[in-house]
Amino acid sequence: MSSYFEARNLDVYYDKVKALSDVSMVLGEGDIVAIIGTNGAGKTTTLRAFTGLTRIATGEIWYQGKRIDQLNPDQIVGLGISMVPEGRHIYPLMNVRDNLLMGAFLRRDKAEVKRDLERMCERFPFLKERMRQQASTLSGGEQQMVAISRALMARPKLLLMDEPSLGLAPKVVREIARSILAINREDKVSVILVEQNSRMALKLSSRAYVLETGRVALEGASEELVNNEDVRRLYLGA
Amino acid sequence: MEQVIVNSLILGMNYALIALGLTLIFAIMNVLNFAHGQMYVLGGFITYYALQVLHLPFVVGLVASVVVLVLVGLLSERLLFRRAIRVSTREESTMLLAAGLALLLESLILLFFGEKQRGMPPIISGVYQVFGVYIPAGRAFVFAIALASLIGFVTFMQFTRPGRALRAIAQDKEVTALQGVNINRYGALGFGLGAGLTGLAGSLLATIFAVNSGLGTAVSIKAFIMVMLGGAGVVSGAIAGAFVLGFLESFGYAYMPGSVTYMLIFAGMIIFLVFRPQGIMGKPWG
Repeated sequence: MSSYFEARNLDVYYDKVKALSDVSMVLGEGDIVAIIGTNGAGKTTTLRAFTGLTRIATGEIWYQGKRIDQLNPDQIVGLGISMVPEGRHIYPLMNVRDNLLMGAFLRRDKAEVKRDLERMCERFPFLKERMRQQASTLSGGEQQMVAISRALMARPKLLLMDEPSLGLAPKVVREIARSILAINREDKVSVILVEQNSRMALKLSSRAYVLETGRVALEGASEELVNNEDVRRLYLGA
Repeated sequence: MEQVIVNSLILGMNYALIALGLTLIFAIMNVLNFAHGQMYVLGGFITYYALQVLHLPFVVGLVASVVVLVLVGLLSERLLFRRAIRVSTREESTMLLAAGLALLLESLILLFFGEKQRGMPPIISGVYQVFGVYIPAGRAFVFAIALASLIGFVTFMQFTRPGRALRAIAQDKEVTALQGVNINRYGALGFGLGAGLTGLAGSLLATIFAVNSGLGTAVSIKAFIMVMLGGAGVVSGAIAGAFVLGFLESFGYAYMPGSVTYMLIFAGMIIFLVFRPQGIMGKPWG
């Protein structure tokens, strides 16, 4: 029996430099799995490999019984995997509505897309008045919520989030954390959460992987990792 | 005076099509299309050939020019630029490729259509008189088609799904792939559209100014002036740059000795770009 999502023994190189080495991860349907680690540990590279933006050298990636590691990013989105990229990467020169509609690019059910726009406004009420506003004029937190909403507009079954709390005020971080839980529970979306904010990541997730210089150094239930001596010292500053 | 303004508008409208084509290809593919002028010339010759040799109606010539140029654009993306971009990370590679494509197209044009300057009688005869200004019907017709095409293009970019995807690619290619857009397919679309627009302008302006096989480089240079003045990769900038150049050129040719005009335009452009390198509408892209 195969898992919902599984990466097996991934190696990734940037030119000749090895960025990931023998990385394996498993995610069950409906789970939130966290990937934590310092800068340059390979967290973003892992997500890039999952979405097809970066080709893996060896290994396999499986999703719902299908091998996806040779697919292009647009094909992987079509299977129900969306990503909220690091640094938000909204379209600055587009208005908010067009940003969200880009998320729904592959969908042909226009009426449902329209309803989803309204549902995004319910989740993030500020969106409603900002629909016609150029996205670059939004605050960092608002941009992050646009990026999350854009990914949700594809109606993904698996959401990959790269540092959603980066550079945001504590109050906004709490709001983002709440919405991640809501997306997971209400919309039944599985989540892989990459975070430097290890405390938040371990709180939200059921399982977690600790990456160190391109390798999985530790893995296990998040509750246990929170109490792990090394994790506490290195990643939680306790 | 009024006459010159009218000429400026007609010229600016058609220049806008050329500049939009160039800026689209640049924004989508990050390619400086040095073959743009040759594509324009090809569009002009196809219309000339349809009208004067095959004696077909103008509409057929116009459509033929656009269709052939869209195909040329699609093919050059598919066979040349896509490959060059994949195997080389250096921007010079695509620039050299575009320069080579320009030479190839120019030679082919010379081979098929000869070295003679080719003109044609106005599409519609007659003259309108509006507020004391004489507007030949043929020019008014060219203006109207260019205006309609411009509106059509901007509407397409602003309000349709593929147009939105093209704008998205111009802003962030990787993230657009993550929304499910096939970047290769849309790159080809952008290249085809860009070439089609300049072919359209070539077809229209050939009915006013005639066309010859050596015209390409001059048109390319004008296209680059417009795009640099307006701001590279920005739709509104391309249109603004086109009208600025249309006016400068028309007024220059009307009131100054012939060769002085472009010398002043170049000097003015250099000074302008020193103070505003991103052009009129250009923004530092985030």
